Amino acid sequence: MTHLARGALGAALLAFGADAAGAQQLAPSPTLDAIRARGHVECGVHLGLPGFSFANDRGEWTGLDVDFCRAIAAAVLGDANKVRYTPTSVQQRWPVLQSGQVDLLSRNTTITFSRNVTLGVNFQGINFYEGQSFIVRTSSGAKKPADLENASICVAAGSTEERTAADFFRERNIKVTIINFQKNDDAIAAYDAGRCDSYTAGLGALAGQRIKLKTPAEHLIMTETISNDPQGPVTRWGDERWQAVVRWVLNGMIAAEYLGVTSKNVDDMRANSKSAEIRRLLGADGGFGAMLGLSNDWMFNAIKQVGNYGESYERTVGKGSPLGLERGQNQLWTRGGILFTSPFQ
Amino acid sequence: MTRYFYDKRVREIFWQVALLAGLAAAIVLIVRNASQNMLNAGMATGFDFLWRTSGINVPFVLTSYSPDSNILALLWVGVTNTLVITLFSVIAATLLGFVIGIARLSANKLLSGLAGAFIEFVRNVPLLFFVLFWYFGVIAALPGPRQSISLFSVAFLNNRGLIVPVATDGWAFRIAALIVVLALVAQLVIAVWAKRRRDATGAIFPVWATGLALLVAVPIIAFSIAAALSAWDVPALRGFNYRGGFVLVPEFVALFAALTTYTAGFIAEIVRGGIQSVVKGQWEAAYALGLRPNRALNLVVIPQAMRVMIPPLTSQYLNVLKNSSFGAAIAFPELVSVFVGSALTNTGQAIEIIAITLAIYLVIGLAVSGFMNWYNAKTKLVTR
Repeated sequence: MTHLARGALGAALLAFGADAAGAQQLAPSPTLDAIRARGHVECGVHLGLPGFSFANDRGEWTGLDVDFCRAIAAAVLGDANKVRYTPTSVQQRWPVLQSGQVDLLSRNTTITFSRNVTLGVNFQGINFYEGQSFIVRTSSGAKKPADLENASICVAAGSTEERTAADFFRERNIKVTIINFQKNDDAIAAYDAGRCDSYTAGLGALAGQRIKLKTPAEHLIMTETISNDPQGPVTRWGDERWQAVVRWVLNGMIAAEYLGVTSKNVDDMRANSKSAEIRRLLGADGGFGAMLGLSNDWMFNAIKQVGNYGESYERTVGKGSPLGLERGQNQLWTRGGILFTSPFQ
Repeated sequence: MTRYFYDKRVREIFWQVALLAGLAAAIVLIVRNASQNMLNAGMATGFDFLWRTSGINVPFVLTSYSPDSNILALLWVGVTNTLVITLFSVIAATLLGFVIGIARLSANKLLSGLAGAFIEFVRNVPLLFFVLFWYFGVIAALPGPRQSISLFSVAFLNNRGLIVPVATDGWAFRIAALIVVLALVAQLVIAVWAKRRRDATGAIFPVWATGLALLVAVPIIAFSIAAALSAWDVPALRGFNYRGGFVLVPEFVALFAALTTYTAGFIAEIVRGGIQSVVKGQWEAAYALGLRPNRALNLVVIPQAMRVMIPPLTSQYLNVLKNSSFGAAIAFPELVSVFVGSALTNTGQAIEIIAITLAIYLVIGLAVSGFMNWYNAKTKLVTR
């Protein structure tokens, strides 16, 4: 190495050391900066699916996916109400995210290879394990998907369900007619009007849509599923720090349930818990929030204002809601489900 | 140099060239900028996706498409369905529009009043309403598959559509179709001959009578014989619905009915305006020659009215083409529904798909206007 190169290297190291000694350096995050500047999170949600994202009669958005938007707002801005919702159809959701109109999508969106790779989007984890099934009129006598021979099936065009259903019946040589509507709501309305014998979507979505039917009791949701549809929040490529925020708020909500932290006991836990992981999660120790460029009470705020994953689930789609879904796969692995979380270390 | 600067012709050419160059530069800039931005955002670009397997089930297919076909074949399904619905709606709307437009001018107050009420209603209600009204109306009016209305036990009508048997072997029908085409040509030859003779001698040949024979009786006989000679795939109830045969889906019927009634309202007004634009003296002159009202209308007034009617009719036909995209609202698989709906969301290639769709509408639209302009020029020559 020449003297000149050695000198340059030394100067660079010196400059780096001086910088590191000052404040912690963070990668730039245009999304976080923009959220702080405008004072709210822009969240893309479903047009209206009870239990997941649905505006109630007072115009307030509720649901599992909406709760996640609220948790993000609580973590970033300290106030879960600082969210503006953009309802998106199956087709609108991608351009809305890609163009930067929303900061994230939290909207019953299945993780697939081609979406991840060709749309320039990243899935930040799973907040709902979904499996595709069918709703039929009880009077039809159909009990399982294979009973649907020659049935007309309403579905939302451009959804994973559209292709999964086509594949399923084609592989089994069962002839069906699939009617592709532009919106989930149009498809369910046509099913209700008698145009179709069945409507297909995920089990959770079907439970939500059933509430909208004229007489929900006359319809049966088949228990057999024909797909694995893990669903979770989506962000654009780029801005890794913002992606980490979204990923770890979701992890934090699941970890909180595992660690027994709830919206009720979160103050007490932060002040008195002996568990090192709880202390790090709630910002009593470790300075994890600052590493993301947030305040250290980021997860404290999210859990205090929105609750842990289990609380959110029960309130929106579980036993405390009109959908009344079991936890099923969406239960912690310690209690028979498949929800697993990464440690806060 | 300054001589050119002050030359009006040179200046005009200069500005036109500058405008064109600017436009070309802007397009190049936009395309490059968009593709660079999409590359940076990690979005797939290019037209390779057209050769990928589509995997989408389409309920109304007139081509050889199946879910195993590629996306290009899916696009073709959309184009075919758009063309078919447009063609049927344009023909029906023109016939209905002429009838209503002439009824509007009738001396019979009840008839003209009804026609007027229809026109006012249709022109003041949004098309989307019509589409949904017909769609849910059609579905509500028809029974479920198990209570299907049976037509001679071979065709069945229910809220899944009109299910008709199809011939498993088409040779007899191909011959019948050829005979019908020959009959059509014969009728055209007779019409031209009859017109020439009328122009030369004034003798009127009953063209409608040969028309009835050649265009109604011949097809009925030809297709009946073909039907008797063919093997049939008769629909049978199995599972949830009838299996086999061809299904005319209620989405097609609803969209056809909506486009026809809606456009007929506008065409009726164009027809009325066209007829009224012919001065009263033309009627009086026709009567003075001893023509009956029907003949006066057909031979004197309508040929002159056509000249006024064709340009606005062209835009109505183009509207039908564009309005056929309302099929997307009721899941009729036309171009927008299958290509911009299903294919776009499955592939995510919005810019390519929107560009292709726009180009297709443009090409069809220009073809329609080209034809109408040709026809317009022809009618102009006839009436001087």
